[in-house]
Amino acid sequence: MSTYYASLFAEAGILLLGALSVYIILATGQLSLGNAAFMAIGAYLSSYLTVAIGMPVTPALIVSAIAAGIIGVIVGFPALRLKGIYLAMATLGFGEMMRSFFINFPAMGGSGGFHGMAHISVGYIWAWAGGILAVLILVERSRVWLEMQAVHDDETAAGLVGLNTVAIKVSAFGIGAAVAAISGGLFAHHHVYIEPANFGFERSIDFVLATILGGSTLGLGSLIGAILLVFLPEFLRPIADWRLAAFGTLLILVLLLRRQGIVDRMLLRGLTFRKAAS
Amino acid sequence: MVNSNGTNSMLKLKPKPSRLLGTLAALAVALGAGSASAQAQEIALGAIVPSSGPFAEWGRSNSVTLRMLEKQTNDAGGINGAKLKITILDDGAKPAQAASSLRKLAGDEKVLAIAGPLTSSAAEVTFPVANEMKLVATSQASSKPGVAKLNRPWAFRNTIDEGVLAKTTVPYFKKAFNIKTVGIIFDAKDATAATVGKAIMPAVLKANEIAIVNESDPLSFNTGDLDVSAQVTKLKSLNPDGVVVSADYSQAITVLREMKRQGLIKPVVGATQLISSAILKAAPEIPIVAPATFFATMKGEAAEKFVANLQPLLRKESGLPAEIEPSMYDANIYEIVSMYIDAIKKSGVTGKPADVEADRAKIRDHLAKLEGFQGLGGPIGFNDEGDAIKAFYVLQGQNGTWDTKVRGCSSAPNHAGC
Repeated sequence: MSTYYASLFAEAGILLLGALSVYIILATGQLSLGNAAFMAIGAYLSSYLTVAIGMPVTPALIVSAIAAGIIGVIVGFPALRLKGIYLAMATLGFGEMMRSFFINFPAMGGSGGFHGMAHISVGYIWAWAGGILAVLILVERSRVWLEMQAVHDDETAAGLVGLNTVAIKVSAFGIGAAVAAISGGLFAHHHVYIEPANFGFERSIDFVLATILGGSTLGLGSLIGAILLVFLPEFLRPIADWRLAAFGTLLILVLLLRRQGIVDRMLLRGLTFRKAAS
Repeated sequence: MVNSNGTNSMLKLKPKPSRLLGTLAALAVALGAGSASAQAQEIALGAIVPSSGPFAEWGRSNSVTLRMLEKQTNDAGGINGAKLKITILDDGAKPAQAASSLRKLAGDEKVLAIAGPLTSSAAEVTFPVANEMKLVATSQASSKPGVAKLNRPWAFRNTIDEGVLAKTTVPYFKKAFNIKTVGIIFDAKDATAATVGKAIMPAVLKANEIAIVNESDPLSFNTGDLDVSAQVTKLKSLNPDGVVVSADYSQAITVLREMKRQGLIKPVVGATQLISSAILKAAPEIPIVAPATFFATMKGEAAEKFVANLQPLLRKESGLPAEIEPSMYDANIYEIVSMYIDAIKKSGVTGKPADVEADRAKIRDHLAKLEGFQGLGGPIGFNDEGDAIKAFYVLQGQNGTWDTKVRGCSSAPNHAGC
């Protein structure tokens, strides 16, 4: 594989984790437009730990994920009072707040950015991305996921059958934040330079887009979405100036033809059935 | 050669005319192949420009500039007989895309050197990749302090550090407008603008004994903000003698229009990001002082010829404003590729696939030692930090035109000046 394709796969791995962070929160019926903020926390904290403290990158990522998870839980509590577009706006505000914080945080370079991280390989990124996706696919078959789905489908009914909806929703926020933080840590150590502009609103939108495009009812959908969002614009390079217009058109067409995203449970069942028949 | 009869078969050969012609033809082909093996048929260079995204205007005009240079070079016989091919990739001003583009150009396209990326943010991410791939990358616009220095020996910038420029710009501003106090407003989302607004300008202003009226209360906005009325109202209430606007020109226009609307007609000073024709039209009555290494109305044979050739092409291109003029970054990228061509001609670069690594190293070594290359505004070289040693001008813009007020040089110890 050429170094160019390796870099695209690295980008796809980082985006996959960002998309999964949205997917986990979305599984409880909450839409977060501020996951780039958790990514920023992971990127800055892991970079500080590896550069200033000298910690190896793996424990630095784990510490960053735990820290971001705690912040995610803290953000998750006030978010309980909000639903739908109001929750989306609140998380968007949180994202802008964190970006502004890092702009005005001179200890980590402020708007001038932060350097000094050691470069990590595409294999290392995919060890994390693949590992987290595999765990999530296993969790999707568990009782915990059914409880999350119950909260997603009807929160009141889920509460009436004895589910602790507060714990489920807040936990989803915490776990989603932790996954976004790992995405940020990997981003920082892959690009060896970070600045607040890397973690703006556009980044959060990319996460949501990858989730919705690939399929928001399955973890596998985030994988498809992340790969498409990274590779498609690159494959469209021969049409030069029309590249982004063509990319946008393709996205609209896909969502018109498959509102639920490219992959859903029905498609997966169909594919499995065909394989079984053959 | 001896045959089965024991006689020499060569002696039996009769020199037929057709056979003689065939031999001559084969000899000619062999000689041709020999000369081709000394020099490739095509010299591949790459460029990374933001043809989409927030700096698309600069990226698109950079692309037109490069296509013009490619045509000029090939029409003049190419480089040592080989055709020049410039592969231009769009990074959308996104650092990650710029890094991927460099990998594509270096690994898949096998280019010998790269012009770009444009922004400092993209350069921060791309220059380490240039070092990893052992390929020269020269930015046409990055001027945030220390970006090339961190990524030696393969990173270069055909720009001057904003800190160096401010040391000449601010004293002129102070003297020309009798400035004793200033207010600072900057684009907090733009890394270069924020560095200039928060670090470089305050330090240089203090060194020149100019007080900053909002030192404890920095005024900022974000790229894309359309309403800066609150910030300008605050500035007006502080009544400074002048205003530092640190932002890309397209963002600075928003501030200048608001200053004009509120009647805050005070002289403005800023960095190279302010230089454009469009900014002078936003508030013609407000004097603007900023440094530049090139501007469209610049005098001099090379600069005037460059503008005369490029301007019609820029205006013909769809998607660019009808009144567009060549920018400083067009001049910079033109000089970068011209320096690469000079390096290829003078340092024995073959352009053959087998020599790609050696060729890249030759270009790097040539640039590192470069002195007195004739750019559009005078001689160019590089200092030990990879930044250009070239002439710059402190310009004052008012009523639609830029006028040169001071000529400076970003000279460095042990290097030739301008």
